[in-house]
Amino acid sequence: MLRKNIINEFVKILAKPRSYIGIAALTLLIGIILFAMKADGKMYISFVTASFEQTLSFNGHILNGNLIAFIVLQMLIVHIPLLVALVTGDLLSGEAAMGTLRMLLTKPITRTQVVLSKIIAAATYTFILVLWMGFLAVFVGRWVFGTGDLIVLNSDGLVILPEADILWRYGLAFFVAYLALLTIATLSICLSAFADNSIGPIVSTMAVIILFTIIGSLDVSVFDHVKPFLFTTHMASWRSFFSDPVPWSAIWESIWILLAHNILFVGLAIFQFNRKDITS
Amino acid sequence: MKILSIFLFVFVAISAHPVLAQDPNLLLKEVRLKLEKVTDYSAQVHIHANVPMIKIDDVNAKVYFKQPNLFKVESKGIAILPKQGMGDLTAFLTNEKGYTCALNGTKMLGSIKTQVISVLPLTEGSDLILVKLWIDPLKDVIMKAQVTSKTNGTLDIDYFYTDQVKYGLPSKLVFTIDVKKFKLPKSVAADLHQTKKKPTTSKEAQEGKITLDFSNYQVNKGLTSQFFKQK
Repeated sequence: MLRKNIINEFVKILAKPRSYIGIAALTLLIGIILFAMKADGKMYISFVTASFEQTLSFNGHILNGNLIAFIVLQMLIVHIPLLVALVTGDLLSGEAAMGTLRMLLTKPITRTQVVLSKIIAAATYTFILVLWMGFLAVFVGRWVFGTGDLIVLNSDGLVILPEADILWRYGLAFFVAYLALLTIATLSICLSAFADNSIGPIVSTMAVIILFTIIGSLDVSVFDHVKPFLFTTHMASWRSFFSDPVPWSAIWESIWILLAHNILFVGLAIFQFNRKDITS
Repeated sequence: MKILSIFLFVFVAISAHPVLAQDPNLLLKEVRLKLEKVTDYSAQVHIHANVPMIKIDDVNAKVYFKQPNLFKVESKGIAILPKQGMGDLTAFLTNEKGYTCALNGTKMLGSIKTQVISVLPLTEGSDLILVKLWIDPLKDVIMKAQVTSKTNGTLDIDYFYTDQVKYGLPSKLVFTIDVKKFKLPKSVAADLHQTKKKPTTSKEAQEGKITLDFSNYQVNKGLTSQFFKQK
């Protein structure tokens, strides 16, 4: 029954026009980035290598598909949470607002199973979104720009990764990025369990992301103990796969913290939905 | 009379040799003439970079040079090379009207007694401030160069020769570059895992080394200028 309900919930997601906004927006945005890089990508490279180029010359095929995929991931990972929350934020509250929640609960499944089926459907949608982004960024990027070594700028300086050593990094980076976006999905479903209207949880999710991001970026010692536990701090940990050596302990820490957030949000959503007085 | 003739011959020969004559212009001319024997060359190069703030694996590339200053690098991967000290130093030295020089004595580099020459550019607005050369007067080759420029600070180049010494082409070059000016743009260098900056005050952190090992030189094969324009 749970499996059937998951399929049912996923069909409901697919039936909503807004579910395609994310896919369309991603396609358009990545298309624009690819066009911009094709037209004037060398400027971006000189921005990255500017302080080194007085002394050193960089030779070889720098503007390649691997760099484009990195740029795409870096630019879009900030905006994709909105696209995820737009769909997942009203999975419970939308039903309440439309008055279909009571009918849904007449099915022979528990409330916990209802929440779980919605979360699994949301996770599948988020996965498709990340997969689509990965396909456009890595494969279309490589098709348009060719392959080559990847030049990445991080806090330690420039890291130049050989072409043969890149694809596995993208695979794992997309997995961690997916985990981060899944946290957004579960947060929005959790907030959705507390609300009875569609827009509230979506806006609240974005407000939480903005608040946590600002706290994370403030260079104030008061927040130093809080920052490592904010999920927004770990949303960029996919970047760590492009360091050399890869800081595995920091990545595992991020994965555990993101997983803990997911469990917390799912638990809270189930708890709230089970005790919710459904009147609509 | 015969003894006098021999004495005179020896005296003239000694006076004419740039090493013993202590004439930096003559010494540089010998080096220049050797460099000018090479109108073009190509070579395989293995690049090993040990530069603070840059992490890169060793790279194999091919370099091409044509007089006076055409230089091209072909590499499958990304290769970093010093901006100065490759073809441009040869180009600078071959333009004898572009500089003036002075002898700064001798210095032992390993077992080789070198003549140290300071070369000052005469071109107004030149980026170069001073080029200091350690020259092996017996082989007429540069053993070490120190290039000081406005934009790049000081760059040291150590030269090592094997089979192409007759053309003055090194088999190995070691560049020591000044990395004090390297700065990371804050906006792109944000690392959420790192809360405290690492101190970078040690000497090693301010110097980087790039080693180029040359092999398979192809000298004077008639590379065209057009070739250097091709991407």
